[in-house]
Amino acid sequence: MNMTGNVLSQGEMDSVHRQSIKILEEVGVQFPDEGVLSMLEKKGAVIDWEKKTARISESMVTNALATAPKEFTLGGRNPEHDFALPSTYSALNLDGTGVYALDPATGDKRYGVLQDIGNAAKVFEAIPLGKVLWPPIVASDCPGGTRNLMGAAISMIHCSKHLQDEVKHVEEIPFLLGMLKAILGSEQAIRDRKIYSVTYCTVAPLMHDRDMMLANMELTKLHVPILVYPMPACGSTGPASLYSNVALANAEALSAIVLFQAATPGTPLIFGTAQGVIHRKTGLFLEGAPETVLQGVAMAQMGKRYGLPVTIAGCLTDAKEPGMQAVLEKVLTTLPLTLAKTDVIQGIGLLESSMTLSLEQILIDAEIGELCQRMGEGIEVSPEKDFYADVAQVGQGGHFLKQPSTRSGFRSSEYYNPSLLDRETYDQWCNLGSPNMFSQASDKVRNILNAEPSCPLPLDTEIAIREIMEEMRHKG
Amino acid sequence: MSQQLEEMKNAVLEGDEVLASRLAHYALQNHLDMKQVMDEGFLRGIQEAGVLYEQGEYYLPDLVCSADAMKCALEILDAEIKKPTSGVASKGKVVLASVQGDVHDIGKIIVGAMLTASGYEVTDLGPDVPNDLVIERAVEIHADLIGLSALLTTTMEEQRNIVNRLKEWGIREKYKLIVGGAPVTHQWASGIGADGYSDDAVGAVALVDGLIE
Repeated sequence: MNMTGNVLSQGEMDSVHRQSIKILEEVGVQFPDEGVLSMLEKKGAVIDWEKKTARISESMVTNALATAPKEFTLGGRNPEHDFALPSTYSALNLDGTGVYALDPATGDKRYGVLQDIGNAAKVFEAIPLGKVLWPPIVASDCPGGTRNLMGAAISMIHCSKHLQDEVKHVEEIPFLLGMLKAILGSEQAIRDRKIYSVTYCTVAPLMHDRDMMLANMELTKLHVPILVYPMPACGSTGPASLYSNVALANAEALSAIVLFQAATPGTPLIFGTAQGVIHRKTGLFLEGAPETVLQGVAMAQMGKRYGLPVTIAGCLTDAKEPGMQAVLEKVLTTLPLTLAKTDVIQGIGLLESSMTLSLEQILIDAEIGELCQRMGEGIEVSPEKDFYADVAQVGQGGHFLKQPSTRSGFRSSEYYNPSLLDRETYDQWCNLGSPNMFSQASDKVRNILNAEPSCPLPLDTEIAIREIMEEMRHKG
Repeated sequence: MSQQLEEMKNAVLEGDEVLASRLAHYALQNHLDMKQVMDEGFLRGIQEAGVLYEQGEYYLPDLVCSADAMKCALEILDAEIKKPTSGVASKGKVVLASVQGDVHDIGKIIVGAMLTASGYEVTDLGPDVPNDLVIERAVEIHADLIGLSALLTTTMEEQRNIVNRLKEWGIREKYKLIVGGAPVTHQWASGIGADGYSDDAVGAVALVDGLIE
């Protein structure tokens, strides 16, 4: 059977749901726009016009969940990378809105630039489990108002997989649609292929950002999938118990689901979270802590309970540089999510609480994801794996090296072949120059960046996108 | 008197806003010596909270509770403290804001609490504050220092815009200006012409202490 892991029993999930509904019904959520409040009022919400809050009933939540699709496919620019949800495995995504990059040449930390995002997209293209690309950092060398879209544009050019990003303002949408049309040809194709989805963060506690809310509502008209992604932190923007912080995050997610289903019923939604805890002394948001991933697993369970695809922040670390702490925390925050059958784990490639991009770390984290995936697949007990005949044939004191089933078994998916882990003899390892995971990853990054792109855009499409980038840069 | 001073210290140390307020009223009603009330009462509480924080026994929420209890007492004692005869000097006036377009303000709230507890008069303008409003309020209250918070890389540019706006108005030199927020660094701060940066609230108090002497 597969290895599974959960943190909430059925009864405990019911308790979280009830507490979330109580929050929605009695406390309410702020939607700072009169048009949105009117829309929610027509759906049954109780509005406080002064506070701009809506109190949302359980029936509104139930109705919204009923119209949210339970299955859909995130298209890739290259259809070979189409990713069906729910997934049978945990795919990987980078984490967006980081600030810094470790320079590929010097290793020094500096503000991220557009080329870093392009490089990350190229590396991501090479990762088998990487199915959804969120441009990992914000390009400091682009004008302030264009940075999101510039990152999306360069990612479209260098990666043929599904793209996910934030849209912060309705003014960004014409540029975004222009780029998607350049690739797909029409708005209908944008709707059908779903090669782009948006990440939508609520503002904890219990608020929606007006500009982002209106922009995302606009995108629902094209059935652009939306990842609802609350981020309350225990003790600062959320209550200090993991249970109640999960209930708060769940309430925020449900409020977003109600919002977008009210705007356009049938809008594809992904249930998610990037909630966590703060460092009790400094207040810093901690991503690599056990308490963070425990909440992530709980939210993965809640999303599955509602029948929605699930993306959870994982493979995270608070370490400032690649190394032992980074790997320790990233394994800790990946394996439980894999065992909870999370559809997408979002966070590879970044360090320092998702602030700093490392191209090498993308590959190291991909290895962690693969290893955790293998763990989750567990042990297959089936007639195909019943090798009793070999045991009987070899008997006592022999060996199994020459058994046909050994040779085929070693080539089966039961054995994962790591690409970065050292499994050489000591002498072989010395002869190879004593490589470590990071140096191995550096070599691979160099090879990827120097290689011809595996799935480049047609030249005229790339030119069209670069023209839109120039237009955005000009307008600032 | 010594018992009341001890209670004042403990009220702040334990973050008891109700008790701190009651003791502040008591001090007013009984015409207690303001310098003594502050130095041997309330201020001792916040100082001890700071020591416990440094020792790892107090966490950030404990410190914020102490700071807010201190703030409650200060608000009640405000008029009396400001009298020249009180012997209690304000350390300076600070305007804080999360920049326009940025709705995140938990970090700024914590910095505000710490600065208040340390003896600064803090005007917190809240989140998503228009650039010109920040400057207008600084002018209006004769601020010594402006503190600008930004959580997002897309909004941190507003910190630079406010610095430039101050220059346009010819009043940049009238104010010390500090910046903070997740994407902000020393490099950014110096690059935009800010006077300083801290990556946490306790450091922010030390920074402001250094800038306003």
